[in-house]
Amino acid sequence: MGIQFRKDERFRENFSYVNSDAGVLRFPFPFGEDRYMYSVNIEPHIPGGPTPAFAHAFDIDEHYIAECQERAMVLADDPGRCQVLPHMMPAQWDTLELLMESLAADYPEHFSLDKDGDTWRWINRPLGIDQSFVFGRPETLPCAPFEYITRQAQGDFTLQDQRDDNLFVDGGMVTTQADWSLDFDIGMSFHEWHGPVPLAHETGVFDRALRFLLRLQYGHPVRRLNWTMTINPRLDTSPENYPDWGPDRTTVTPENVAEKVHLRVELQTLFRLPRSNAILFGIRCYLLSLKDIERVEKWRKRLHRVLTTLPPELAEYKGLTRYRDTIIAHLAPHDDGAELSPGIQPDQTVLPPA
Amino acid sequence: MTDQGIKSRPIYATLRRDSSGRRHLYVSAGSGPPPDALAQDGLESWTVAPTTCEGTLPRPEGVGERRFRSTRYLMETLGRRLAGERMGLRLYVEGPEDFLWDVYGVAQAHGLGRQEIFLKQSGTLARRVQCVHCKTFNEGVTTTIVRCAGCGANLFVRDHFSRRLSAFQGVKIDAEQPGDVPQAERAYP
Repeated sequence: MGIQFRKDERFRENFSYVNSDAGVLRFPFPFGEDRYMYSVNIEPHIPGGPTPAFAHAFDIDEHYIAECQERAMVLADDPGRCQVLPHMMPAQWDTLELLMESLAADYPEHFSLDKDGDTWRWINRPLGIDQSFVFGRPETLPCAPFEYITRQAQGDFTLQDQRDDNLFVDGGMVTTQADWSLDFDIGMSFHEWHGPVPLAHETGVFDRALRFLLRLQYGHPVRRLNWTMTINPRLDTSPENYPDWGPDRTTVTPENVAEKVHLRVELQTLFRLPRSNAILFGIRCYLLSLKDIERVEKWRKRLHRVLTTLPPELAEYKGLTRYRDTIIAHLAPHDDGAELSPGIQPDQTVLPPA
Repeated sequence: MTDQGIKSRPIYATLRRDSSGRRHLYVSAGSGPPPDALAQDGLESWTVAPTTCEGTLPRPEGVGERRFRSTRYLMETLGRRLAGERMGLRLYVEGPEDFLWDVYGVAQAHGLGRQEIFLKQSGTLARRVQCVHCKTFNEGVTTTIVRCAGCGANLFVRDHFSRRLSAFQGVKIDAEQPGDVPQAERAYP
């Protein structure tokens, strides 16, 4: 049986966003320990692990259709959210091929790909797409290949060109981002686009991560989790629109904290691409309300401990300063200090009623 | 306030002649002579007349010298010049940060590699600031907060620098609490 896609979800004004119980339990909770600090927490992106979100190269869930619609709305307002520098055309086709082949293999009931030489037929049933085209010929698609396929995927994507022993962010589809601007950062080297991140430069995290990624091999993708928090289930927390969503951060009260505050997790995946030697970086965003997190005993206790011990620079960078204490006060009565199992898995298979 | 701990800022060295080059071109946003370390035989020197010249063009004094009425004029001429260049040119650039990276962009567009271009910041520290919200460029910003000429937002000048845009990033400082705008400080004279 296929995924039951939710219709009529909204990730902006008049928010409408719900996770099923299975959706809550498959959430990639980012804290394997009671304290959080930056690290190069990269592991092989192989199927399996503590969350079903790791089961496939590109995770599709019940929000797929709604997220593709949200992306289309962002692009209609701001086409600059998708940009690729001209020398990256081979990487565009690499991305299209990787996504189409992965989705068709992992979700055959929803996607299929038939090849007859360079003539391909792509069927996306959830979105009602049936497209024949010639691989390598952009004019046979409705738009450029990178934009075409990433409009049909959940999460953001960037393309990293590798040259001069460095990586350059030379393209991307960025509509569900945690406050960074592709339009400003495009063309930057690895350390430049990570420039604003506090604390991590001094500990050498970015030096080590870059060295690791320069050696990334085709066929051996890797993944890591990153996180922040977002008020309301808003996907587009771009710096461009910060004047519109920034005031949300002042609206959190003890009464509404459980509904308003969402843990925002990025499942970050990195794939070496075969023809271009570029790296495709997937940034798949998951939102879970504090109310739903609380239904998992381990997660609510651990989140309380992580927030209590989070360095102030990180809280500031992640934009939590105005409401962190409200969350901690809400969670504290439900944390008895008992030892928790290592790792991110929920340690329960059913949830109490919402 | 001027060091926000952000690591995308370029660091500049002093200019030295790269002996692997066959031709050497010095371009400056100012009107002064090239540094001694460059000034040997065969150096071409392009400079910009000060605004006190009011459009008149002082005659060059030496061989290989060329003067321009504005940086814009220099930049356009440089583009045409580089379009006809061959391997072996070394480009030395001196001036304010936005000028450096504007020249760098022109050079890169004409195929010069980063090992063939040398940059040295001098003159005003005023910044070009791009509003991340409305994309307007605000030129010559000397303060920590500037009112965007495009959308009117009061922008905090982040230390985040784009070489491609030759600009710093400006972010609305009171986005979360509209009206809560601190006093701007003069930081980039």
